[in-house]
Amino acid sequence: MNGLVGTAPYLDRVASWVVSDYLVPISMALTLIGLWFIEPVREVRQRHQIGVFAALTSMAVSSLVVMIINGLYFRPRPFETLDTTLLFYRPTDSSFPSNAVAAMFGIAFTVWVVHRGLGVVLIGVASVYAFTRVYGGVHYPSDVIAAAAVGLVVTYVVLKGRNLLMPILTRVIKAARILCLA
Amino acid sequence: MSKAANLNRNMFTFATDYYICVLIATVGVLQIAVSIGKINGLLFFKSPVVARTMGAALVLSAFVLFFSTAPRNVNDYEGGMDANGQALFFFYGAFTAVIVTFVFASAVNFKMKGPDAPPDAGIDAVRDTNYVLALTRSLSYWWRNWRTQMKSYFFG
Repeated sequence: MNGLVGTAPYLDRVASWVVSDYLVPISMALTLIGLWFIEPVREVRQRHQIGVFAALTSMAVSSLVVMIINGLYFRPRPFETLDTTLLFYRPTDSSFPSNAVAAMFGIAFTVWVVHRGLGVVLIGVASVYAFTRVYGGVHYPSDVIAAAAVGLVVTYVVLKGRNLLMPILTRVIKAARILCLA
Repeated sequence: MSKAANLNRNMFTFATDYYICVLIATVGVLQIAVSIGKINGLLFFKSPVVARTMGAALVLSAFVLFFSTAPRNVNDYEGGMDANGQALFFFYGAFTAVIVTFVFASAVNFKMKGPDAPPDAGIDAVRDTNYVLALTRSLSYWWRNWRTQMKSYFFG
């Protein structure tokens, strides 16, 4: 896939934006802010707001799981072992699995559970992000596939366990209502 | 200037650019979201079409400004930002955007003075009242009834 870099300079420029640490992560976070306010019906809005907390938890837990796997198994980056054209800086941590991609899929899958439309868009965005990470020479395909699997499993676990946190979350939302924020 | 001082300066500039990008984009997203959520007291413009168009333009311009002004694929030890820095400056930017939106929308909609909403209305109180007034009403209600409200808050 990385062999295609250089064939379409404009596409490479777009890819260098998408592959960065900023465009997709900021977009995902902005979507969560939007999700907090977007629903006019109060009960549905509360479900979305609990979903925002769950998405942030999924993101954090996905990163933690990846950190543990990275600690157990080190895989060099593609640009260290193959002849690649890099669209990104040269990270020094383990390639497998992709931390950024796992975190993005953690958010995307959780949002899909609470808001199908936005969730489908975010899963699409996370998939494009994963593709550009491979295209840009930062990861192997198996790194991003494993990362998506981590995001999926973590989302499942977080959503199964969210009932444990529900009393705290509903109180946080109640407190936010006093400040007219929820 | 030493290499370390130069690096610190680059990191500061990078973080400032990131903060401004998040601030502008969050204001845009809030305008889109509150127009869909019909929270009229937080809108800068009454027309949903104008609010959403302006919101989308703000988001787009924030990203274009951020990416077109300097190279952004920079490692954190070469002047970029690490994950903790990104999270922190995202929080600063989003928090500032929320404050800016609430203050500016309250100034624009200062004539919106709807009837008193139920005490636990939350953001629904901002549908026909400006934010500052809705907040003042909510806090004054809590100030007057804090004993009963605390009981219901903790014990349902």
